[in-house]
Amino acid sequence: MSDLFAIETDDLRKHYDGGVEALRGLTLQVPRGSIFGFLGKNGAGKTTTIKVLLGMARATSGRATVFGLAAGAQDSSVAIRRRTGFVSEEKDLYELMTVEQIIRFTASFYPSWRGDLEHQYLRSFELPRDRKVQDLSRGMRTKLALLLALSRGAELLILDEPTSGLDPAMTEEILQALVAHVARQETTVFLSSHQLSHVDQIADRVAIIDHGRIVVSGALEDLLESYRRLQLVFDGDAPDHTFRADGVVRQQRRGRVLTVICRGNAEPIAADARALGAASVEIMPVPLREIFLETVNGEN
Amino acid sequence: MVSYKSWLDTRWRFVIPLVVLVINVWGLLLEYPHIANLLRTIDIQPDALTRSGTLGRQIIETVSAEHTYRGFVWFQWFRQNLSQLGTLCAVLLGSGSLLAGSSGAGTLFTLSLPASRNQWLLARASVGLAQTLALIVIPSLEIAVVSPTIGQQYAVSDALVHSLCAFVVCGMFFSLAFLLSTEFADIWRPLLIAGGIAIVLSLIESRYELNGFFRVMSGSSYFFADTIPWIGLLVSAVLSLAMLYGASVNIARKDF
Repeated sequence: MSDLFAIETDDLRKHYDGGVEALRGLTLQVPRGSIFGFLGKNGAGKTTTIKVLLGMARATSGRATVFGLAAGAQDSSVAIRRRTGFVSEEKDLYELMTVEQIIRFTASFYPSWRGDLEHQYLRSFELPRDRKVQDLSRGMRTKLALLLALSRGAELLILDEPTSGLDPAMTEEILQALVAHVARQETTVFLSSHQLSHVDQIADRVAIIDHGRIVVSGALEDLLESYRRLQLVFDGDAPDHTFRADGVVRQQRRGRVLTVICRGNAEPIAADARALGAASVEIMPVPLREIFLETVNGEN
Repeated sequence: MVSYKSWLDTRWRFVIPLVVLVINVWGLLLEYPHIANLLRTIDIQPDALTRSGTLGRQIIETVSAEHTYRGFVWFQWFRQNLSQLGTLCAVLLGSGSLLAGSSGAGTLFTLSLPASRNQWLLARASVGLAQTLALIVIPSLEIAVVSPTIGQQYAVSDALVHSLCAFVVCGMFFSLAFLLSTEFADIWRPLLIAGGIAIVLSLIESRYELNGFFRVMSGSSYFFADTIPWIGLLVSAVLSLAMLYGASVNIARKDF
């Protein structure tokens, strides 16, 4: 396992009682310093992966390491958590503590607690110190959970659906805070989400998980570069033709238009289309949302 | 801070019973002069009562014990109230999610902090047992302190020996609830199951006049014969340790 990666898993499997296979040979590498988008539908295995990485659940087989330390061993799991900030999907905090109490409580576990960041985020998030957690709105709880994660001076932030249930304005505020934090600190971010637009906005690498295994992984730029949509317009009805070139992911015929989504070089398909008599051939980029849907639906 | 969380989670389950027990002791002691007068007027016929079975023998034991102030304190407090309330408090303190906050939420937050599950468990067990000890010792010592106000004396050594017996057996019921709490996420099931087991044990002991845990808890051998029930205390302590170990194993293998 390499120092280049903050997180590495190799053939990770997790079977829950009752026969549920949450992870089925998950192999993943998260480079240090990256903002890594971990995408998948609900129930794809994202949260289970995070729980295994943080020692909250035990893998059935395979390897998982964080900073090169085994995630499943008790001692190294404590060391991993000392260097990691975590925000759970439910923003699961102690309801009866006040904001001030939970900050002081959390800070006591981290010798490298960043008081400067704590004060900065208290101000910018406008968190009321004396209010109980149970009385905070969902957005405020998210901000508090984020403050607790960011002020740890953590090398790695693991965020499980951090913006779920938030309105667009609050989501934007949270994402901006995250990006600004990462820009200032040397932090790796592992962002699990099914909100593709958020990941698209801030991630530099992504992996798509489906049914417990990685189906696509790589730099976001490369991924977006590798997928292309060809829109072929014919004078009459589009021919009922199946493209045989490598990389064709899907094709769809509707009236005069034949749409092809491909991975890799689109030129051979474009040449093929011209030979078929297409009046116009347009090659366009494919947004992450569509790549995700194609990948996940294709796997299914 | 790990212990501080345990304190925050259980403080009301400790403070409220403590106040109740302290008031209970006051009430008991203020009642003593009336009961002493009443006992002088009762004419016991031991042979007839003995023939009437378990209940009759218990009446004889009660009335005989309460003819002295020491006997009154032992029977009313250590044998009756502390045995019942102490067990209830111990079970209450041992119940409830060991990793969540006092509202039941926050388990994942707890597990994301850099402390091992065993550290959380150890802190919770230590705080809970310390609270159980305080709930037993403070009201018991109160008896020794307050007795002169009603013209009586109660030895501190007696209070401490009986408290020791009560604590060790209550610790066993605490450990039982603690073990059950590693299996059930809510507070109610451990509370009801452990409380139910305690009630059944108490009924069996009473019905068959067994020298069981509740007799050990009341320190009856010390009261009647100045003998500390070492074997009973040892068995209770070993069972407590076994259940605490079981809780540790259970929580270590659990997925959240």
